[in-house]
Amino acid sequence: MKSLELHLTVNGEEKCWAIAPGDLLLDVLRREGYYGVKRGCETGECGACTVLLNGKAVNSCMMFAGHAEGAQVMTIEGLGNGTKLHPLQEAFLDHGAVQCGFCTPGMILGAKALLDRHPDAGENLVRETMAGHLCRCTGYRKAVEAVLAVSTPPRKVRKQTAGGKR
Amino acid sequence: MFDQVEQYHRAASVAEALRLLQTGKGRARVVAGCTDFALQSDDSVRILIDITRAGLSYLRSKDGWLSIGATTTMADLEESSAVRNLAGGILARAAASCGSVQIRNVATIGGNMAHGSPAADLAPPLVALDAVMVVVSPAGRQRIGVGDYLAKTKAPNALLAEIRIPDGPSGKRCGWSFQKLGRTAVDISLVSAAAGLEVDARGKVKWARIALGAVAPMAMRADETEKLITGRILDRGLLDEAGLAVRREIGPISDQRASADYRREMSGVLVRRALQECASQSGWPL
Amino acid sequence: MSERQVVGESVRRVDGIKLVTGAPAFTDDIHIPGMLYGKILASPHAHARIVRIDVSKARALPGVHAVLTHRDVPRVPHTTAGQAWPEPSPYDTYLLDNKVRFVGDRVAAVAAESRAIAERALRLIEVEYDVLPAVLEIEEAMAPGAPVIHDEPDSTKIYDRNRNIAGHLLREIGNVDEGFREAGLIVEREFRTHRQQHAMLEPHVTICWLDTDNRLVIRSSTQVPYHCRRQVAMILQMPVGRVHVIKPRIGGGFGGKQEMLLEDICGALALAARRPVKIEYTREEEFYMARSRHPQILRLKMGVKRDGTVIASHMRVLATTGAYGSHSTTVQGNTGSKVLPLYRADHLRFECDVVYTNTPVAGAFRGYGCPQGFFAQETLVDEIAEQLGIDPVQFHHANMIRLGDIDRLSAQLGEGKEGLPRVIRSCGLPECVDKAAAAADWSKKRKAKPAKGRLRRGIGMACTMQGSGIAGLDWASAFLKMNEDGSFYLQVGASDVGAGADTVLSQIAAETLGVTLDKIVITSGDTDTTPFDVGAYASSTTIISGGAVKKAAEKVRVQVLEVASKLLGQPPENLDCGGNQVFTKCECRQTIGMADIALHALYKEKFQIMDGASHFNTDSPPPFCATFAEVEVDVETGQVKVLHLATAVDPGTAINPKLAEGQVEGAVTQGMGFALTEELMLDNAGRPLNANFLDYKIFSAKDMPKLTTILVQTDEPLGPYGAKSISEVPINGPAPAIANAIYDAVGLRIRKLPIRPEDLLRALREKEMEVAQ
Repeated sequence: MKSLELHLTVNGEEKCWAIAPGDLLLDVLRREGYYGVKRGCETGECGACTVLLNGKAVNSCMMFAGHAEGAQVMTIEGLGNGTKLHPLQEAFLDHGAVQCGFCTPGMILGAKALLDRHPDAGENLVRETMAGHLCRCTGYRKAVEAVLAVSTPPRKVRKQTAGGKR
Repeated sequence: MFDQVEQYHRAASVAEALRLLQTGKGRARVVAGCTDFALQSDDSVRILIDITRAGLSYLRSKDGWLSIGATTTMADLEESSAVRNLAGGILARAAASCGSVQIRNVATIGGNMAHGSPAADLAPPLVALDAVMVVVSPAGRQRIGVGDYLAKTKAPNALLAEIRIPDGPSGKRCGWSFQKLGRTAVDISLVSAAAGLEVDARGKVKWARIALGAVAPMAMRADETEKLITGRILDRGLLDEAGLAVRREIGPISDQRASADYRREMSGVLVRRALQECASQSGWPL
Repeated sequence: MSERQVVGESVRRVDGIKLVTGAPAFTDDIHIPGMLYGKILASPHAHARIVRIDVSKARALPGVHAVLTHRDVPRVPHTTAGQAWPEPSPYDTYLLDNKVRFVGDRVAAVAAESRAIAERALRLIEVEYDVLPAVLEIEEAMAPGAPVIHDEPDSTKIYDRNRNIAGHLLREIGNVDEGFREAGLIVEREFRTHRQQHAMLEPHVTICWLDTDNRLVIRSSTQVPYHCRRQVAMILQMPVGRVHVIKPRIGGGFGGKQEMLLEDICGALALAARRPVKIEYTREEEFYMARSRHPQILRLKMGVKRDGTVIASHMRVLATTGAYGSHSTTVQGNTGSKVLPLYRADHLRFECDVVYTNTPVAGAFRGYGCPQGFFAQETLVDEIAEQLGIDPVQFHHANMIRLGDIDRLSAQLGEGKEGLPRVIRSCGLPECVDKAAAAADWSKKRKAKPAKGRLRRGIGMACTMQGSGIAGLDWASAFLKMNEDGSFYLQVGASDVGAGADTVLSQIAAETLGVTLDKIVITSGDTDTTPFDVGAYASSTTIISGGAVKKAAEKVRVQVLEVASKLLGQPPENLDCGGNQVFTKCECRQTIGMADIALHALYKEKFQIMDGASHFNTDSPPPFCATFAEVEVDVETGQVKVLHLATAVDPGTAINPKLAEGQVEGAVTQGMGFALTEELMLDNAGRPLNANFLDYKIFSAKDMPKLTTILVQTDEPLGPYGAKSISEVPINGPAPAIANAIYDAVGLRIRKLPIRPEDLLRALREKEMEVAQ
């Protein structure tokens, strides 16, 4: 039963939605037509449901919609505009980082949140961000390449992955 | 699925949260980041009390204590200079090891401790640092040592409001370490260890703290191993002894992630590595 | 060969923009008014009869529109395997049955107004089970007294139901006994591989509804729309022409969607409820109620001369297909047919039994039997090479299949029937080996290492091959028609699973027609509007669907040139196409634009420039692959870190090199997961222990080694513009290369996957104790 009113801003537009108190943000967003937010695991592991909440990447599958009251939410639909793609979107296409595309919206948003805070992000930080976005198609290399190409200064994928376990 | 939930409240204060908890009569739950809660399917929950706006997100240094509000996120801990400078940054490292960026952006120190998973990433550092948990209930504010907090059943009408860490020993002969073993780079702990020690000018251990996670029902101090190495010269042989000793103190289980035997052996390995890092940091590299 | 304009270029994907902008392109990205949520009641028991099932309470729950049990649906034995008819897999599956054969098997299904109501309805279904003894282990399934899993009389094509043998194969070329007598060295080993799951990011999802003509529409994430249509029609007892399957964008398949998995039950619910119904697997259901890789026990015996020449090879496979026989003989057949002929031995023998067990159903998974087989073969030859003191690289060069060779084993192991002998008409394998070896710094890294310190490094290699389409069986068709702006609609039945088929096929069409890529508009995978294609499997899309596209484009090109010929007053043989124009070959250089030709044809001559073509091959040219892995073993924890994975692949011509590289990088990542971290685990009651991403570990971006990908292009006569395939073969290399690298690092032979740190540690300790004694 939809007994709660949710007010939030999605991609710059103010919204007022009727939701059930137990609704998850992923379900609400998809119900309202934001199909770019994907359902991959519903346990916060795969990152396909990632949206930006007040500029921070979060898994919408494990966030109650009520938590987003008053928040600024960005989905992939809010990136770039109808005629011009965001540099990350261009980079993903140029570097062949998109295969099936299911993880892509989440990855691009995660990368955007990263570069907004750390425009000079290097490979370690990029891989740390990408680790929250499981991909079964690409092996991640071209996605990392694409993000590094947009970081300032642009970099290439390094010889050796220095990430690894903490 | 949470279709049974009837109310979702964003409590504006701790007092309001407690009131809602009380009137919820056992069917209310306090939630913050929800990264553990959302994975449960507890059909009995009818009321959710979101405390992320109840004024519990803060980090304050005062009078020899670092006070951390319960809804401070893993990401906040990771980035805070106060937390990074405390005890070699072991709490910051533990926070940074927890899940992915998306998880860390919302998961909270309070949630991690209140949920009480044996593998909770923040528990070993907090146990090693003798943290004090501040629990509020209609009866008032209570301070409980972290060990007691983890061991006791949580009262249904109380909530964890703050975690306090004493500034504790520091100095150039102190060393701290946090180690975590997972199957892949992003994983729940199979075993984790937080350790700290201080040596004197001749390498004799003045004090040692060793805490382990995921090898007992809750994070624990390896008291016997601490006693074993205190007062002795820190060398490779002592590290080997410590590694063997800690295996006797723990009670790991076998599950789909690892066998008890492997956890036992890895505890020894991680403690050895932790003490080795402590030694390096304390100016006594081995 | 004249310079190519589009083929061979790393152009951007033609569907890229909709993917990076999150446009609603996937199956679930649609709102259908009145749509209901379907859910399947899964069996909690590994083996049981349904004695009584009472759905009255579920039916009475407000919001429930349909509940189905075995009593409500036709009983039509079938296979769910997405294979050409008549499918070689046993017909041992039923829409709903009165027996359950694995934890997760279908018991009943509901359709309700919300997911929550559907889940509640499932809990209201009362089932009385007669629980039967279950058999979970491969070796126990054939033992006397083992419970018979398929005792129903109406299932067919089961090899020996009373011994739980779904399929059996025995093939030989030459005489292995004779071969072994000639051998100077014989090594025989046993290997075990496990259950790997596809874990594609988009779980299985299907939506069914009746259109305004009362035809059943199936919108589904499927690799095989045409097989789906045929199978659903048969199971629901409708004419094929009354079923319409639409394949939108797919979020990954890898063989898991080469299956008619949810379409039948979803269709049945839609028919029962007379409303649209969606069934979407949760991630948990996806892990154990979909499909996974066939676990195998392989015994491999190889005989070589003292100089290292391979003479004879005898492989025996005991595999389980889980509770149903989907892809049972064909996957295992591949383990023999694609693996053994890598070496030019005169004597090859392959034997295989595929048994039923009360476990999750196995099916098609990238590599299709080859990962298991190459794991065994490439670690065994590494051992042989070591015993003979021969560098593995040299061993491979001396023994590998070559250009001009004929593989006769393939003739005996087609898909369920006699295949065709394979002639190697293109082979870049030697160059693959050398280039990958150089990239991996093989010679330098193979020199003796000091065995001290807790981190030990090693390097290992493997060579593998695959096929490109199934000879004489996989086929495709394509249709092209021209529009007045000089663009062409390309309609193909081919199913882009995300690998880039739409792009590659468009490139082939554009190249053949002499137009730029933007002039091709492609529609794929709709059984109403695109012509037949077997679907995306067996690495067939580029070579077979691409072959059909090239043929259709060549026919349309003829029509275009005929019209141009009239307009330019030149005979067609003096004309050529390029750059969206037709031009004269002579120096006078007359030109006319494609748009003008189209307008003239459509409005002056009054005919539609259009044509279609079908295509299949009578051979399956193998792509080749050399994989080199450098690893670091932590001898205190048993953990293995891959430092560098170098892969060199011969895909024939790479129609789109960047997409081809992407295929390699994704495949090797799955290969590394197969080797090191992925395993679907069951408890001793057959229940899944790790049906989630927390405990089923796939590689993340932080786990990745340095990847080097090298394309060694050759020119394959049977492929469009010389193309073969690339999407499967690289998955075969990592497991044996990593195992061989571990041997190089710590002297332990790995014969069981996945390589668990605990197991490695235990083996290291045992070895230390042996050495100490």
